[in-house]
Amino acid sequence: MDLVDIISEKKFIGQEFLTWLWWKSEERGGSISLPEQGDIIVVFEKHMLLEYGEGQSNEKLICRGLQTELKEARTGISIGKKLEQARIRIEENELEWSFTLAAGLMEFRNVKLPKTAALDENIEDKEKESEGLILERIFLFEELIRIVNGLFKLFLDVRLGSYWQQEIQKIKGWVGRSEAEV
Amino acid sequence: MGLINGRASFVRFSVEGELPENTWDFISERVALFSFKDIDDTYDENSIGWVSPLNMFDYEFEFGSYACGNYVTLSMRFDERKVSAAILKKFVLKEEERIKKEKQIPKIGKGQKSEIKERIKSELVKKSFPVPSIYDLAWNIPDSTLLFFSTNTKAQALLEDHFKDTFGLTLIQQIPYITAEHILDEEEMHRLSQITPDVFI
Repeated sequence: MDLVDIISEKKFIGQEFLTWLWWKSEERGGSISLPEQGDIIVVFEKHMLLEYGEGQSNEKLICRGLQTELKEARTGISIGKKLEQARIRIEENELEWSFTLAAGLMEFRNVKLPKTAALDENIEDKEKESEGLILERIFLFEELIRIVNGLFKLFLDVRLGSYWQQEIQKIKGWVGRSEAEV
Repeated sequence: MGLINGRASFVRFSVEGELPENTWDFISERVALFSFKDIDDTYDENSIGWVSPLNMFDYEFEFGSYACGNYVTLSMRFDERKVSAAILKKFVLKEEERIKKEKQIPKIGKGQKSEIKERIKSELVKKSFPVPSIYDLAWNIPDSTLLFFSTNTKAQALLEDHFKDTFGLTLIQQIPYITAEHILDEEEMHRLSQITPDVFI
């Protein structure tokens, strides 16, 4: 299968991951435990994009607002729309990232990096400053990818395991609750 | 943009293929060979090449300014002379009117119309200034991964081609299914290839 076919046929894997991650983040009040790393904070906020259908019949639904107002997005899922993009905040130790994840292609958009001492420091030597700052920023980009890949692995382990049927029942219950609340 | 400062949008690629043992010499030689060539004083329609992420006019890399620890940090610069559709339409119609008057004819044939359009387009392209677009990248040499700071698919296609031309290496975009290939074993990957979309209703 070439890349173009993989993108269209397997896009659902990223979208299911994002939906699962949203549910997972709310299951324990924003806290998710990553193997060998411990708890991190994952919060879905402000902005989501859902889509329905393929090609010309593709429809998009944008939901904006505070966390509680994202009930509209859950209602979208309850009528078969798929979560394609979400604005996410991740906290790990003292570091905090904010970014939009476009799930189908795993694109990181509008990434706001954590504030770190190295990024704030005012170094005299301009050349060293540039190299040091660039390395610091690359480290923070790659750290974010490492965390997201860790969460993706967590999802794949459940999705491919025998526990998935139980997990999806819980997600369906959560989606259904939002319908009742609206 | 994005690598150096401010908020960033990026996609991730894996870099497929072998680098020679003298990796940094090879990279240095290839970057120089495929660096950006200015077209401001020519009539070329476009130009693509590597520049320093810190300065779009630095394409000589005299101090190896692309090497940053174990990373290669570069910007891909693409300059293109563009003519807007509205301007092209205006000047094509103007030329058609001129010819009709000159030859005292009521209409211009299809073939000649097409010839006029091509000629006017070529003249306008030559008169327009090249518009630059800059896209940053960070290539992790030990991990063979690359961050490209644009989600524009046209820019990604240009990168894949220019990277292949420069280094002879192939870039594979790390969409979820391909990412999974790097974090699952063979048996798990087989199971992933078999699953179909589930519903959350």
